[in-house]
Amino acid sequence: MPTITIDPVTRIEGHSKITLQLDDHGDVQEARFHVTQVRGFEKLCEGRPFTEMPALMARICGICPTSHLLASSKACDDIMAVRIPETAEKLRRIMNLAQIIQSHALSFFYLSSPDFLLGMDSDPAERNILGVIAKHPEMARDGIRLRQFGQRVLETLGGKRVHPGWIVPGGVSHPLQADQRDLILSELPEAIQITRRALRWFKGQIESFRAEVRSFANFPSMFLAMANDHNEFSAYNGWLRFIDTNLNIVADHITGTDYQNYIGESCNDDSYLKSTYYKPLGLHDGMYRVGPLARLNMCQSAGTPQADEELAEFRELERHSVLSSFYYHYARLIEILFSIERMETLLNDSEILGKNVRAHASPNNFEGVGILEAPRGTLIHHYRIDQNGLIESANMVIATGHNNLAINHGVLQVARQFVRGKKLEQGMLNRVEAVVRTFDPCLSCSTHAAGAMPLDIQLLGADGEIIDRLRR
Amino acid sequence: MRVLLVGYGNTLRGDDALGPMALERLRPALPAVEFVSCHQLGPELAAELSAFDLAIFVDAREGEPGTVHVERISPESSAPASLTHHVKPAALLALALSLYGRAPQAMLVTGAGASFANHEGLTAKGEQALHEICRLVPLLIRDFPAMR
Repeated sequence: MPTITIDPVTRIEGHSKITLQLDDHGDVQEARFHVTQVRGFEKLCEGRPFTEMPALMARICGICPTSHLLASSKACDDIMAVRIPETAEKLRRIMNLAQIIQSHALSFFYLSSPDFLLGMDSDPAERNILGVIAKHPEMARDGIRLRQFGQRVLETLGGKRVHPGWIVPGGVSHPLQADQRDLILSELPEAIQITRRALRWFKGQIESFRAEVRSFANFPSMFLAMANDHNEFSAYNGWLRFIDTNLNIVADHITGTDYQNYIGESCNDDSYLKSTYYKPLGLHDGMYRVGPLARLNMCQSAGTPQADEELAEFRELERHSVLSSFYYHYARLIEILFSIERMETLLNDSEILGKNVRAHASPNNFEGVGILEAPRGTLIHHYRIDQNGLIESANMVIATGHNNLAINHGVLQVARQFVRGKKLEQGMLNRVEAVVRTFDPCLSCSTHAAGAMPLDIQLLGADGEIIDRLRR
Repeated sequence: MRVLLVGYGNTLRGDDALGPMALERLRPALPAVEFVSCHQLGPELAAELSAFDLAIFVDAREGEPGTVHVERISPESSAPASLTHHVKPAALLALALSLYGRAPQAMLVTGAGASFANHEGLTAKGEQALHEICRLVPLLIRDFPAMR
């Protein structure tokens, strides 16, 4: 059977390829998203003191170090059985929001905006951030400014833009200073303006992407995200909840102690990325999605005024849950807006400059689980230690793993819609890549790799022979 | 004259830490200079660069260990298509020029390291390069007005 291979997939975080298998008539029969890099952090941290985990785990990725730092510290809090000081929790939440802002800004403006601004069929040599700079410099400036804002918050609090410190088991290492708070507050209005401008622009463009909305991983699935008592958007504290396409709760109040009863992980022969599934339904039927789309489908309100207005409009897209993964982009912008608003509330909290920011304890449990909503979705760190506090085993369930089944399904859907015949065209292949991009996968995080991010699509014939190949 | 000193590198990879360590050592001696110490260069730095008259980038490189190289750099017309992880200094200058209408005069100071393995701290050759970088950078700043 003929096969098309896209290797590597471009403008994503990490290294991967896509294989499209054709039938005898030249129609796409099967599609696979392969992750070709391995990281191995689960293994290499064995034998290390658990207190080293936050700093070590943050090195998994240069885009999401803060998310790993937070999830890892939460797992260590669990091992120590401490309740961290309230001020520390609020400060950690600000860090998480800053991480969401900078990561979403990178995804929307740097990685995906070339597709929106220059068109899916435009010359690939121009369809990149340089093309955006040349034709839409104001959008490029906005993207840089917004990401810079998120990174500045991380740097102000954590000491560095990439691989910040400060988050530690038991809380944070030192209190926030008034001048640091005031500096961040002074930059919020501009960040809001940029986000609102991007939202206005994106909403105005949706109509011209109807074909992509229809075919970009647009199918019924369950969604997983953090939930709370108020059904408000939740990224730091709460429990896990599965909902179905009709927004019915499938499973609720899932915590670190029982997540493995609901979330199964399956290894793949052709990819270093595990497939995660809803265990009660098994691998075949247990596909679900996480991340911005899941979170906005899950919550009844964002909990901040401007994001709530946008959420209400977002909800009008569909009667029940919003299913097209193309809307991940839209959801990211709403989440940026929410994050800026919530950050302002937290920074104006009367306790935010409190000096009690860290709880100290020795290990009180042999096991700890930290759960967090990272930019790309639910992140779980799970450690077991021995009597000396050394890591016996570590398990990390990463957002991209949660989404792997849906990414594969989405690649198949879009390939069937756009790939025709035995000759590959850039526009059709870019759409195959772009559906992967909607999920904003982070492959360094999810496979525990070094490498560039090129694209390789192979078209295989019915007998498995390569009949066309496209590399960038 | 506004001067920005940018030191970048991985402090966990031996002599790759030359850039950040040079900044640490130079900071007390150069109170009028602004500093950015980072793991790697990202496009966000372009916005900051546009506000300066002179930018000096300090980095480690491969080569004859202990040697130091200074070169003037100018905006590079073909900037990289991917901006997520690492951008070269010349590409950052191009970005500053095209997006903010202004790029500083710039120099790249590189010291050749002996080891970029997984360890903290410099090798003896790395220390030698660091010493030379710390001697040269103040001179470059002092002499810059005459070089313009």
